[in-house]
Amino acid sequence: MPTTIADLSNLLKGIPSGAWVAISERQQKAIAFGVDAQAVLNEAREKGEELPLMVRVPDQQTAMFL
Amino acid sequence: MAKATFPYVAISLPPNQAYPQGATVFRPVTFATLTATNGQSIRCTVLPDSGADACLFPLSLAILLKLDVLNSPKALTGGVGSQANLTYYDTITIDLGAGISFSAYAGFTQGMDPIGLGLLGQAGFFEKRRVEFLHAKKVFTIESNWP
Repeated sequence: MPTTIADLSNLLKGIPSGAWVAISERQQKAIAFGVDAQAVLNEAREKGEELPLMVRVPDQQTAMFL
Repeated sequence: MAKATFPYVAISLPPNQAYPQGATVFRPVTFATLTATNGQSIRCTVLPDSGADACLFPLSLAILLKLDVLNSPKALTGGVGSQANLTYYDTITIDLGAGISFSAYAGFTQGMDPIGLGLLGQAGFFEKRRVEFLHAKKVFTIESNWP
């Protein structure tokens, strides 16, 4: 499933740092987020996204990585 | 032989003392479907990292894939600022789309959870692929079954 997402900045805007986020690639938007990845995935599937893109919002401690 | 070009992805970083205004970085990441031998699949972000010995993912993704980590082979993994990260290994299929799909003996560790993405390392990925980074154009290409 190729994706056209090239900018996560806007999709993750307003979501707390460190949160797991489920993104609908079809709708090009975040549909669930929270601290627990399993809960986020479950919520996304309840909303009809069987295979959402799971990403994590950078926080201050992991913003830059080498 | 498959060859595909992927765009760098823009990611906003929060402000800190070194970067008071925050920053937007462009990383050579793309998106992959991971499939376990139990048939479970998830989508996640992956980064080609020639400095990684193997493919490595957050432990949370192993939970989502319903891997039996407690009965998986284990080893310790180290990286910048961390060491002795307990890492559980399993064989998964990694599909980047555009005809680039491969099987890898991949590690899953809590040490990768804060970053939240997977590293495509030497074993399973770079050993059979040519990867070219064109930072000025913000794209990278992956050529499979190479050489």
